[in-house]
Amino acid sequence: MDARPSTCGGTYMRDPITVMAPERLGAMHQNRISFVRTLIRKMAQQKWQVTKHDWQLSPQGFGHVIYKLTTLNHVYHLVIFCDEIADEDRNDRVIAEKWDVTFALVYGDVDVELLGRLRANVPLQEAGRNPNKVLVLARANKSVRVFEHLVSHLAKGQQPNAKELAEVGYILRTTAVYGNGKFGIADFNWLETTEDFNQSFSAQMCAVYILREFSLDWVHYIANQQGGDKAVSLDIDLQRYLGIGNATGLGMAPYLINHPCVVDKWLSSRESALTAVLNTAVTINKLEPLQHLLQKGLCHLDQIITINAHQDGLNTTAIGELHDLLGKLESLLLQSTTWHELVDYSGQYSLETQEILLSCLMEIYPELVDSYETKMNCDENLNLPSGKRIEDLIAVLENRYRWAIDTDFKQPENNYWFWYRSQDKEEPRLGVRGEEPGEDRELPLDIGRQAYRLYHALLICKPNMQLAEFLVLHPQYRAISRRVWTLGNKEMGEIQMNVLHKTALPMHLLRCKLAVFGATKFDPRSERWVRVTFFQGAPLLNEIHDGEWLFPLLPSHSLNQAIAEGEAS
Amino acid sequence: MIVSHNELTAVVNKAFLGMRRTCGEADIIANMVAGLQMVGLNGIGHFNNAAQFLTAEKDCPVDIFMTNEGGLVVDLHGCSLACHLPVVIDYAIEKMVGKKHLTIELKNCHNRWLAYNELVKLAAKGLACKAQWNNGSSPQNTLYILNQGCVSPELFLSDHLDLTGRTLHDMTIQLSVKNFDIAGYSAGYERHINSSALNSAQRDTWYDGILVDDAEWEKLKKTATALLVENSEASVKGAGELV
Repeated sequence: MDARPSTCGGTYMRDPITVMAPERLGAMHQNRISFVRTLIRKMAQQKWQVTKHDWQLSPQGFGHVIYKLTTLNHVYHLVIFCDEIADEDRNDRVIAEKWDVTFALVYGDVDVELLGRLRANVPLQEAGRNPNKVLVLARANKSVRVFEHLVSHLAKGQQPNAKELAEVGYILRTTAVYGNGKFGIADFNWLETTEDFNQSFSAQMCAVYILREFSLDWVHYIANQQGGDKAVSLDIDLQRYLGIGNATGLGMAPYLINHPCVVDKWLSSRESALTAVLNTAVTINKLEPLQHLLQKGLCHLDQIITINAHQDGLNTTAIGELHDLLGKLESLLLQSTTWHELVDYSGQYSLETQEILLSCLMEIYPELVDSYETKMNCDENLNLPSGKRIEDLIAVLENRYRWAIDTDFKQPENNYWFWYRSQDKEEPRLGVRGEEPGEDRELPLDIGRQAYRLYHALLICKPNMQLAEFLVLHPQYRAISRRVWTLGNKEMGEIQMNVLHKTALPMHLLRCKLAVFGATKFDPRSERWVRVTFFQGAPLLNEIHDGEWLFPLLPSHSLNQAIAEGEAS
Repeated sequence: MIVSHNELTAVVNKAFLGMRRTCGEADIIANMVAGLQMVGLNGIGHFNNAAQFLTAEKDCPVDIFMTNEGGLVVDLHGCSLACHLPVVIDYAIEKMVGKKHLTIELKNCHNRWLAYNELVKLAAKGLACKAQWNNGSSPQNTLYILNQGCVSPELFLSDHLDLTGRTLHDMTIQLSVKNFDIAGYSAGYERHINSSALNSAQRDTWYDGILVDDAEWEKLKKTATALLVENSEASVKGAGELV
């Protein structure tokens, strides 16, 4: 493993070249300080209460429902609208205009007037206009297959076929969860000053977590309407196994490029937490919990069903490697002084396996890791200090932007794609340079190329020239200079990826962000489109706890049923 | 109507990017507009006004000359100040080293209200700032004083036009390591917008949202659509969904 001296307690931290490599970011998994985990811990520790406040659904399940969230400090309401839509209108793309479910998390009480306003606007999503007491605006579609399977079975008093559930893992799938001032709702700058949702994306995660409870309540309600006395509740382990799906496309990728300080902070905090663990002495009493988690990780991968052959291959490889690692784990621990050595050993395995090991190691040291959960916010300003000279910026570029300045941007493959926004709801898209229209309106997401051009412009100037003077002559470089200086002096800095390259995979960016959020069950549908689950395996609201729920697994009795059915077929 | 800060900065960012200018930084200009709008000083209106001319303006670096007194004269070639002020301020701060005072004469520039937010940042650098400019329409004379450690400036407005040594397209910025005498410099101005009113307006908008004029907002959003690319068969595939 690459290592360099760091400020982290005089110990060693992994190098940004290692940590910020896109392929490694594209193999990340949920860990203890992923946002969903942090939220559930906070809800459990502070005993947040969620109650069904208003249930106004027709027997067919259409209408509205309100859940009330009471924290130590405030009251919030999740207002959910369920509408009947035609199958052909059910589309996961941002360009969709109708959804099965639309919802809003609201600060404070919801009176008749506000409810009317929400009813008129929330189902319209981007086309509506909501008051700024709305913290989150989102929508979801049913997995029609799982929904109908569950309702039909529960109504008849039967438990569902576990295999049907395992293939999907959720009842509802969100297709966008908006926060931070989108379409006029509350800015995060304000939320950040409050007690409850001061961590980035925590309000969005909370809305999705309550939606998960609603998805179960909804299915039970309709099953009861259809089955009457015959209807039964879903097995509690299966309830826990169902999360909320999410379909994410290319639109998420520009966020990571446009918010480099945020990405640095996420990865730096994770790395600091990990470093604290890796520099800890190995003790044999950690063998059993680590074995348990690695085994869970192995089973989790084994249970993932994906149509993506590449991801399926990665999962299969990791399953084999985790078997290998588990077989040697005890002797490896006996030979290791610190966990660093075990992680060094795992360098021979695939990135998927390495990342699973890292998540497991973080899991067994809550006392070292959890304090980093409040260190995920940051100042996003990109600043250039005064007094710097050309040579200072060149040094930063040569030290931290090798991935950019060593790329030959004169080669067509390094400039293959261009990014743009389409007229369709401003959806970000990729076009082939020289072939597709829109190159004249290219988005400035080409950070590697900009850094490369800056570097070559700096090289022809006198090294001791003041940077401010250079920027008077070449003002076009000020934005990238601010970025390079700021990120080049941060712990992890930029994602080291030329997003214009012919083989660049936006999927790595999507996976990184989703893992930081705490997604599981990565199921790529293409190179730019992925389905995941949130809160799968998480405690239900009435049993919420701050313990471990890494890697969701089918309940063992359901697994046996699924195996038996598989053998029978 | 009410908009959010993030929404406002995102739209200005897109609008500026759509103009395909070499000079000027979209994120900074977005914050210039939002900073002004949040304190109720019509940031969007000033940007919309700028947008009418930006694409036709020269897109070249400013020329900076040093005066015999050690001050700076900056020729913006008839361009918007929004596109050039950060570069000029960076340069001026370098030239302030070892000095207690520096005068910057900005010549041939537009949209001077958009300097508001960039000048506010100077207080954090330990500098006091005084800016003054004349305008063809009311208010015809504006004075901006931000002393060290202040969050918002004191603004003085008057319809008395004093063109001594200046034109309608200039702006004078004075930087100093000492605070300016607010009472002395503001004598004769008819209106005063005090810093506490600006501070509370800014604080309230984080909670209540930012009030904008509907027509100006629509105009801004329309400008931002220039960045968007028409749909095509290829572009639909470019979204990434399995087709």
